[in-house]
Amino acid sequence: MVFQILNKAELCDYYSLNQNPGVSRKLTNRPDKFAYLDEEKITLQLIRYQDKNQVHLNFYLPQIHCSSCLYLLENLRKIDPGVISSTVHFIEKEAAIIFNPSQTTVRKVVETLASIGYEPYISLNDLSAKKPKKDKSLIFQLGVAGFCFGNIMLLSFPEYLGIDVKDQYLQSAFRWLSLFLSLPVVLYAALPFYRSAWSGIKHKYLNIDFPIAIAILATFIRSLYEVVYANEGGFFDSLAGIVFFMLAGRVLQETTYRRLTFNRDYKSYFPIAVTVIKDNKEFPTALPEIKPGDTILIHHDEIIPVDGILTRGSAFIDYSFVSGESLPVRKEIGELLYAGGKQSSGAIELLVIKEVSQGYLTRLWNKDKEEKEHSGSPFFVNFLARFFSVILLGIATLTAIYWYYHNPARIWPAVTAIFIIACPCALLLANSFTSGHFLRIFSQHNIYLRNASVIDSIRKTTHLVFDKTGTITDSSRFEISWHGLPLSELQKSKIASLVSQSSHPLSRAIYELHKPCSSLIPQNFTEQTGLGISGRFEQEIWNIGSLSFTEYRGSASEGTNVFIVVNGQSLGYFHFNNSYRAHILDTMAALGKKFNISLLSGDNDAEKNYLRKKLGRQTTLLFNQSPEDKLQYIESLRLQGAEVMMIGDGLNDAGALKRANTGIAICESINNFTPSSDVIMEASALSGLHRIISFAEKSRQVVLLSFGISLLYNTVGMYFAIQGILSPLIAAILMPISTISIVLITFFTSSWYGKRLR
Amino acid sequence: MTVEKFYYDNKIVKAFGMATVVFGVVGMLAGLWAAIQLYLPASSLNLPATTFGRLRPLHTNAIIFAFVGNASFAGIYYSLQRLCKARMYSDKLSWFHFWGWQIIIAAAAITLLWGKTTGKEYAELEWPIDVAITLVWVVFGINMLGTIIKRREKHLYVAIWFYLATWVTVAMLHIVNSIEIPVSFMKSYSWYAGVQDALVQWWYGHNAVAFFLTTPVLGLMYYFLPKAANRPIYSYRLSIIHFWALIFIYIWAGPHHLLYTALPDWAQSLGTVFSIMLIAPSWGGMLNGLFTLRGAWDKVREDPVLKFMVVAITCYGMATLEGPLLSLKNVSAIAHYTDWIVAHVHVGGLGWNGFMAFAILYYLVPKMWNTTLYSKKLATNHFWIGTIGIVLYAVPLYWAGFEQSLMWKSFTPEGQLRFQFMETVNNLIPMYISRSIGGALYLTGALMMVYNLAKTMAQGSFIANEAAEAAPLVKAVSPQKEYWHRVIERKPVTLLVLSLIVVAIGGLVEFMPTFLVKSNVPTISSVKPYTPLELQGRDIYVREGCYVCHSQMIRPFRDEVARYGEYSKAGEFVYDHPFQWGSKRTGPDLAREGGKYPDSWHYNHMYDPRSMSPGSIMPQYPWLLDNKLDTASTPAKIKAMITLGVPYEKDYANRANADLMEQAKTIEGNLKKDKIETDPDMEIIALIAYLQRLGKDIKGPAVTAQQ
Amino acid sequence: MSVIIVLIISSISVAGIFLLAFLWSVKSGQFEDPVSPASRILFEDHPPASSNAKPQKSNNTDL
Repeated sequence: MVFQILNKAELCDYYSLNQNPGVSRKLTNRPDKFAYLDEEKITLQLIRYQDKNQVHLNFYLPQIHCSSCLYLLENLRKIDPGVISSTVHFIEKEAAIIFNPSQTTVRKVVETLASIGYEPYISLNDLSAKKPKKDKSLIFQLGVAGFCFGNIMLLSFPEYLGIDVKDQYLQSAFRWLSLFLSLPVVLYAALPFYRSAWSGIKHKYLNIDFPIAIAILATFIRSLYEVVYANEGGFFDSLAGIVFFMLAGRVLQETTYRRLTFNRDYKSYFPIAVTVIKDNKEFPTALPEIKPGDTILIHHDEIIPVDGILTRGSAFIDYSFVSGESLPVRKEIGELLYAGGKQSSGAIELLVIKEVSQGYLTRLWNKDKEEKEHSGSPFFVNFLARFFSVILLGIATLTAIYWYYHNPARIWPAVTAIFIIACPCALLLANSFTSGHFLRIFSQHNIYLRNASVIDSIRKTTHLVFDKTGTITDSSRFEISWHGLPLSELQKSKIASLVSQSSHPLSRAIYELHKPCSSLIPQNFTEQTGLGISGRFEQEIWNIGSLSFTEYRGSASEGTNVFIVVNGQSLGYFHFNNSYRAHILDTMAALGKKFNISLLSGDNDAEKNYLRKKLGRQTTLLFNQSPEDKLQYIESLRLQGAEVMMIGDGLNDAGALKRANTGIAICESINNFTPSSDVIMEASALSGLHRIISFAEKSRQVVLLSFGISLLYNTVGMYFAIQGILSPLIAAILMPISTISIVLITFFTSSWYGKRLR
Repeated sequence: MTVEKFYYDNKIVKAFGMATVVFGVVGMLAGLWAAIQLYLPASSLNLPATTFGRLRPLHTNAIIFAFVGNASFAGIYYSLQRLCKARMYSDKLSWFHFWGWQIIIAAAAITLLWGKTTGKEYAELEWPIDVAITLVWVVFGINMLGTIIKRREKHLYVAIWFYLATWVTVAMLHIVNSIEIPVSFMKSYSWYAGVQDALVQWWYGHNAVAFFLTTPVLGLMYYFLPKAANRPIYSYRLSIIHFWALIFIYIWAGPHHLLYTALPDWAQSLGTVFSIMLIAPSWGGMLNGLFTLRGAWDKVREDPVLKFMVVAITCYGMATLEGPLLSLKNVSAIAHYTDWIVAHVHVGGLGWNGFMAFAILYYLVPKMWNTTLYSKKLATNHFWIGTIGIVLYAVPLYWAGFEQSLMWKSFTPEGQLRFQFMETVNNLIPMYISRSIGGALYLTGALMMVYNLAKTMAQGSFIANEAAEAAPLVKAVSPQKEYWHRVIERKPVTLLVLSLIVVAIGGLVEFMPTFLVKSNVPTISSVKPYTPLELQGRDIYVREGCYVCHSQMIRPFRDEVARYGEYSKAGEFVYDHPFQWGSKRTGPDLAREGGKYPDSWHYNHMYDPRSMSPGSIMPQYPWLLDNKLDTASTPAKIKAMITLGVPYEKDYANRANADLMEQAKTIEGNLKKDKIETDPDMEIIALIAYLQRLGKDIKGPAVTAQQ
Repeated sequence: MSVIIVLIISSISVAGIFLLAFLWSVKSGQFEDPVSPASRILFEDHPPASSNAKPQKSNNTDL
């Protein structure tokens, strides 16, 4: 069918350009699928610009992947003559389309795109949230620095190569030229460093850019003096080189960061699964496998991971993660639900209309937390920088005093040389590169950190808090037994359909026991997290949950129980035998030797003795904890000065996770995306927690190692500098060597430590 | 805003294409003829216009400016329009460019054969033609820039950057190197002298290679290779990086032509360093081109266009590896002045430039005539013949260069030079013959192409104006006019610094003449300006193109000092406008020729070289014996030299001819003693005076060298 | 050797012009998408009615 369209429009080159053009059109869309695009107030949000002759808009087309896509899309006007032009931005997978409003409409254009296999992903969130304007000034500064550096270097060669005495006047001409070329570097390219150092000073502390700024200015002033008065060469090549390499490092850092956060690549995923319904059966499916056309099941309190159309259930969507608007919005069947919203009234089914966007989820993730750090570097880096600056000033002062008494002429050369050579550039580079590597290595092991500062908070942990149910217990392996009045099939179905609305591990477990009848849908479903759920079937009000929640009357055994009360009548309870994850208790005991451990549970204390035996005396065990209790506990730990790492199961421990210094959300096969955490990892990784923490600790070692090596260079250079005989050649050589070695060292040591992670 | 319909101008492409073919054949014929003359000197037909010394510049100019130049214009006019999705800015300017260029070529052909030359390689054309070149070049630039401004495609494809770089840099190179003081309508003296002139010349010369023979053709490759193969370039990112790297580094490789010469050591080393750095960006371009064809080698088997391109790119890679290696001092010590360099040049010229031109013509003609190539088989045969031609050309010359150098440097156990110069020359004859066969094959292939293309044109119908349509550029919402003015203005410091640079350039240009003149104070006190007679003789030397076969620069090597005398010092050349160090020793070095032979030897030698040196391949110059010296030009020449700072006495111009006749009479007397009767005001007398002066300045015992 | 100053100044000026060109390119987004231009040049942009009738006169404004 696509071919026919193409043939008609004489676009047959399409197939010659590529072996696998386009996307196969398995899915035929409902004819009125895009009817909503007839509405002006919707299209108004999409349109960038319009007048009576032209309408401009941009579409995100994730299916773009090859040159044939490019060809087809840029020749769109041959299929829809109303289109005037369309330009593809391949990397961003966007098409900028201009069409004539008197000949076609937004809806028609979208339908045309869909019919050839390039259905645009239209998310109002994507568009209304302004994409952050890429700040290009760093690239400009890099370009200017590179240009000046290259030419200054060329002008320095004659001196290194041994220019003749008789060409002395040429020599000074070269030096003056170098001076002029260094001006753009000092006055423009180095601005980011001055700005940062200045803002540090305004806040009364010396950050890492302070010594760099000093070095740049000192080098410049000394070189200026040398050329103008002393008829010597100056250090312009080292100066320009420092600025150039530092800027290059910054650009690299920013690009990596941007790519990690705004990545629109589908390769790597959070270990999150969503339930897909096929032929009335449920299949937990990993995110990448979710295809448009699938029907997914979203439970109460779960985040919708991908855009879809509501096909079943009553939807009350809370978009607070996305837009900050926490008032839930009611959605009707057939309406479009956007990714990022949280369902807050039972289970719903969605017909998926596009693939999941990992980058979008990452962005959501980072949006939620308040910024903990001002600068990108962890605290100890800034600490070292301050320390460094103090020492530097100390050395400089001592040197000045020394020379004052022995040979005053040497004061100036020595002091300025000290500042030139003692550049903590390595520290900055080491830090950014190391963070990048560690993040990458973690994600290769399916451990996802929100951003680089999390590495440091992991490292500083002093107290670990574990949630019990669903975290250290394996909710897929509960042994459940029913105690109470025998249940009829109808009752079982009702129970099942009620618990299916909830994503609590216990609900899930019960649900596995009894599958629901699809025609039974509870009304007025509500859930009190961690306590229980309730709903109504016609005249019956069902309560399922804890003892207190359900007000169950009767005796119950020790342990984890879920009670059922219908219209005040106590039916019975499900008894759960906990099964702990493999090795987890041993891991916790081992961790207990290094850290303080606490275990919080919403259950009663039936297992207390067992746990005490396993975990040792020092572990704090708290039972019957409500979510609020957990949160308070973490709060109190923090007030006592502990660095808390909380390991929980996401949605139910959301508050506590948020409050902890590091919140780790454990994902099971059927759990969901949790924006309030700092780390998302698979449950099976939990037994390796001690390795994870020690790996994070290594990050500091790597940075310190790099710093140590840089210090070595600095010491050598300082040896010459203090004597006042530092030659520009040595400075010029040491700088790039130290930079390159830092880059290589951070890479290799990070990788080496990373091997021990698994 | 609607989709706009417009037409591409193919007529101008056709015009440039025709000129390419015509001048290609002419240039190759000139080259072939010159090559044959090397072993058959009589084939010059004994005419002044067709001696090797005048024919070689005709060949180089025809190939570089007429053949490659027109081919580049054809390719640029074709591709620029389509990359910009716009017709050329002005048809009038297009045609001005075309006719202007062809008139320049015609003028070049006439003047070069006539002996009107500046004596500087690849810049031989005299000053009026230089002015014309500047004018036409400016027009070309306006046309290109105008087209880019009115383009309908926002992105500037990398090829366009190459074209722009070519334009800017060639303009600068041409202007700086061509600064000369006119003496008469077709005669001028280079503003620079001696060592300075050498540096400027080879800064120009090498960058002419870079920016006239490489960058435009690279740009063309980036367009025509993907088009011919119907696949995108392997890595567009790489092409962007490779362009910017090339642009910033290329400027400094010039000094590698002057290794071991009197150029200061540090300047030579600078050239070497940058030449080595050049391997990276050059090979980036080559690999990008070749990898584009990965997985499409079956297409290469089928398509002659792609075959030509593959060999072209490979030759480019070879030449750009060999070049930097040749700029290593120890390699240069062997290769400089030999045929090795000629081989290197022709691998690049025949392989890269020639084959790319052929490929583009084979691609363009069928397209523009809306038909298919008349005979693919014929084109493929052309390809094979041409390739064999290149091999037969280059390989013997590599061997020749290497062997000759070794022979020059060879000593007997007693410490004498083993070989006379003549012996080394005779040794090369077979290689020269083979090389001319290679060249003839190459030319044959080109003629096959002419036939093939003519037949193709006949069977097709020319599309003078090719229809196209595209949407105009979106005017950006934010004000973007005068964009970078505002960027600069917003950053006052940058503006300040840039202004300083501009002012510095302006100032420098203004006071440069005096500045340079002052620096020409001789550092060797015994070096004196040329006498009027010697000056006239020198101009004859330049006119006849003697520097094409003879060098005047003895390098500080044992064998050269033994063979020619004391090695050359920079201070000896301070009055040489232009310098005549030469690049090739087809004949021996003449730096210390003065006093080696009696005047009569030179007289007879010029009349017929073989009478004095049996086995010589040098052409005969009998007309020097019969032509009267143009003494009327002497005052103007002296005046010009005085302006250039040569320390003649203030009003010497008027007295010069008197001194000239006096010296001429002395030489006449010498000749009479050897039984040769001649008038003193003949050209030969002047030439003899000049030759006898060479290298005499520091032969004297009390040399007060100050360096 | 003083002429080397002239050569350096000229060369740096040309290089400076290219620096400006580079800055303009980055600003105007020339390097935003380094993938599609390579393919884009392969597309022919003939008008749909593939007649090639054209006026032979060469007056400009794209005819």
